[in-house]
Amino acid sequence: MSLTDTTDRAILNRIQSHFPITPQPYLSIANDLGLTEAEVIERIRRLKENGIIRRIGANFIPNKLGFVSTLCAARVPEDKIDSFADAINRYPGVTHNYQRDHEFNIWFTFIAPSMEEIDNNLQNISRETGISDIISLPATKTYKIKAKFDL
Amino acid sequence: MLTELEKKIIASIQGDIPVTERPYLEIADGLGISENALLEGIKSLCDRKMIRRFGATLRHQKSGFQANAMVAWRVDEKRIDEVGTQMASFQAVSHCYRRNPTDRWPYNLYTMIHAKDEASCREIVRKLSKETMVDRFAILFSRRELKKTSMEYFPLPSENET
Repeated sequence: MSLTDTTDRAILNRIQSHFPITPQPYLSIANDLGLTEAEVIERIRRLKENGIIRRIGANFIPNKLGFVSTLCAARVPEDKIDSFADAINRYPGVTHNYQRDHEFNIWFTFIAPSMEEIDNNLQNISRETGISDIISLPATKTYKIKAKFDL
Repeated sequence: MLTELEKKIIASIQGDIPVTERPYLEIADGLGISENALLEGIKSLCDRKMIRRFGATLRHQKSGFQANAMVAWRVDEKRIDEVGTQMASFQAVSHCYRRNPTDRWPYNLYTMIHAKDEASCREIVRKLSKETMVDRFAILFSRRELKKTSMEYFPLPSENET
């Protein structure tokens, strides 16, 4: 665990959502937490260097921007996992891809302007890789997407 | 629905914004607009609920949530909203969706669970199962991250060398 002090935790809890949309956002955060702007900037830079913060930016709702998304699963033999992963990761719309311990062992998300485009891409992937067992499971209802993790 | 300027603004804040005193001024300069126009543009995207969340994305493994499991549940469709809402109320559940089952994959409710280790994940799954009385499920622990990025909507044309 590289999170050592309460100030780091307070900053991380503050910046996971509602990042200030003000000319000096790090000053706004500093004011919220009783710190100086320079201290906030220095700590956030360190938390990024440590790899605790992956990025700071906006997360959009695909549908609101005219896109669709789905969760896909594939059944891939062990010795073909790396080449299959390479084939799907090449698509910019594949944003998350995990190997999981199940018969369906490769799980990835796919975002594109239309479901047709995704289905066509999946067919192309099947043709290219010889993996025919790929299923697409678009969400029909969202019960929760968590905004932040309390540290 | 979206103007060309809004698409550019989206493209400029979907990655990693600078950790400097005036990050928005830097981004605005790059787009050739004023800092104020950028701030107003971002606020408008938030107000129109296009931005789900604006802020830092953490690496869970490094921030104390070492294990994550996707759990696929088989829920009676008559109870799906009740069970989905109940599962969503758990702190350890980060995502909860309904998806259509297929003939090869009969599950219809999906939860992402984050905890400090696999034993804790299993304990949470046991509780979820008990409280919702859903006993058909598959736990899928992640073994390897093969890709994790954020989507690039409306990518800006790559800059020409001057």
